[in-house]
Amino acid sequence: MNHPPLKHLCSEQIAECVLGLPDPVARRHLEDCAACRAELAKFREALGEFRGAVRGWSENQARELSISARPSESRSWIAAHQLALALLLAAVCIVASIAVPWYERDRSGAVNDAALLNQVDSEVSRTAPSSMEPLMKLVVETGADVGKQE
Amino acid sequence: MAARAALDHTEPTSCKPLTSVKRLPNLMELSATSELERATRPDVAALAGDFEALVRLYRPKVFRFALASLRDLDAAETVTQDCFLRAYQALDRFRQESSLQTWLMQIAVNLVRDHVRNRRFQFWRRASLTARPVDVASHGMADRALSPEAQALLNEQVAAIWDAASKLPERQRTVFLLRFVEDMDLLEIAFATGMKEGTVKTHLFRALRAVRERLGGTV
Repeated sequence: MNHPPLKHLCSEQIAECVLGLPDPVARRHLEDCAACRAELAKFREALGEFRGAVRGWSENQARELSISARPSESRSWIAAHQLALALLLAAVCIVASIAVPWYERDRSGAVNDAALLNQVDSEVSRTAPSSMEPLMKLVVETGADVGKQE
Repeated sequence: MAARAALDHTEPTSCKPLTSVKRLPNLMELSATSELERATRPDVAALAGDFEALVRLYRPKVFRFALASLRDLDAAETVTQDCFLRAYQALDRFRQESSLQTWLMQIAVNLVRDHVRNRRFQFWRRASLTARPVDVASHGMADRALSPEAQALLNEQVAAIWDAASKLPERQRTVFLLRFVEDMDLLEIAFATGMKEGTVKTHLFRALRAVRERLGGTV
């Protein structure tokens, strides 16, 4: 007795069936072939389990992520405030380090200016230059002596 | 700033949903399914005004895709935040040629692709997640009263698909995840990835063949 060779769905036809796009030949074959039907059902079930497992796993991961993110959020909030404070202090230090010497230089400059002006005033108000002062004293003294003699 | 604040909130506060609903009543009622969304296309101006609601609605999906693609928690979180930031910046350019979900997934796909390409050159990158979605029992399926043998078999199958997906080329993996984790149809995947529908189909066939081989297809 000659039996026709047993022919089952190929990978592509199984894939088409899994995607819901079976050709008419594959559809007809599935009606008659219990082995292909079982194979297809098994494959679909495995893919369904995979979907469920990935979804559940993803939800768990997201939950873990949100749990671990909460303390770090508050930590990062604190860290941000500390950073802001540190930056503020640094800015104050920088401004102070620039402003204080500037102010000091300004003040000492003003003192120097005043001293110079005083010196100029005293120089200008003199009747004779400083180099002539001994001579002037001598003249004054000599004049006084002459007056006494007269 | 509002967008950044919205992105940083993983859990909604008690009063915010009320204001969101007040400003944009339809958005919170939208399901993530594209058919329903297409029927009730949200107004872009309203979305801009209530971006926080949009983030709450689509964040899990974008995060899931990024996590499954990159398998790195920090990278997935970064991609998710970048995705919504870019969406916020480009909201006025959203022409509603696709659903909002597909548009967001398009941004996510591009970001994941960029991330993978950048990561190729990071020879110092650390090994990614230690956890894998292989333990079916720990992901809400324990209530089905499976025998330990059946449970073990399911775990094994999920692990095999996970491993097979990790070995797929980037494009195949992307279309595989969009189809079999995110339940997107071929047209939506084509829009999100910028491929033609036929190309998407080809990538899916190849991905399915690789996954089935890994599962040890008997027929």
